[in-house]
Amino acid sequence: MASLNNRGVADVLAMAFMFVILVLAAVFMHSYSLRPLRAATDRQLELKSEHLYKTLELAWVEPYSVSFLRGAAENLLLEQPIVPGPYLRSAMENALEYLHPPEYAVSVSLSYDNASWELSWPRGAGLGLDAEKQFVRRGEVRLTMAGGENIAVPVTVRIFEIAEI
Amino acid sequence: MTLTQILKTLVTCILVISFLLVTVSAYQQHRRISALAELSDATTAIVTRLSVEELVYVDNDGNLHMYTIDPAKLEGLSTRREFGGENFDFQVSVKYEAEGEHVLGPFGSTPPEDRAIGSLAVSCVLYENAHFLSAKLSVMAWRA
Repeated sequence: MASLNNRGVADVLAMAFMFVILVLAAVFMHSYSLRPLRAATDRQLELKSEHLYKTLELAWVEPYSVSFLRGAAENLLLEQPIVPGPYLRSAMENALEYLHPPEYAVSVSLSYDNASWELSWPRGAGLGLDAEKQFVRRGEVRLTMAGGENIAVPVTVRIFEIAEI
Repeated sequence: MTLTQILKTLVTCILVISFLLVTVSAYQQHRRISALAELSDATTAIVTRLSVEELVYVDNDGNLHMYTIDPAKLEGLSTRREFGGENFDFQVSVKYEAEGEHVLGPFGSTPPEDRAIGSLAVSCVLYENAHFLSAKLSVMAWRA
């Protein structure tokens, strides 16, 4: 040990250790400082998913005076919905293409009993169930059937990071 | 003092100074990022307040239609808000598609070039000619 000290190896080791600590501290401090901005961005995406849900719930499928989600629920449950299925899909795809957040995909799904109605934009993006980052807004659309039965159809609108399409 | 000792002292001093510089730089970056996050949150708060309170369409029976924008309310809109003791100015516009893209606005002053600007666009509903159209509400905000 004395010989190592004489050669100055202990000092060199101490300096190398300080250098490693310096690099680690720099990386840690700079990456940690980005967290508030990431959290603020996530809050904005959460807000976007809420707004997208409300837009699909309230905006009409032109020229029909029926909202997008109500039209989808009717397509799921009724034999003769007000908005024809292919027209509804085309109109909703156009709306999602215009409204979706850049670099994120959107999926809309309704399900009742064993039936489901699903749509995603871009096409082929899937429902995003396994996406690492996703912002989900759940709700329901109420329909009154011909017999007076009141049915609540669960709806999920999901904004998620696009992987590979 | 030998040359080796001088070199060791020099390297140690450089490391200590580097550590201090990294710490100061990280602190400055943290403050800058926190300011940006505050600006982002202020923009979010402005959008929320506009879409559920200040720009909402009110029908003839006095019912509020949250998330539905009344274009008539855009023109008289005050474009300054205070959050946490800080004043923020903003510019707002509404875009929608009806046989091509239409833009209402922008309303409010022009964003300055020398300050950080928060920007947020969310989907909303526009009440236009007795129709509920899907639209985008865009807000750009900055510290006054």
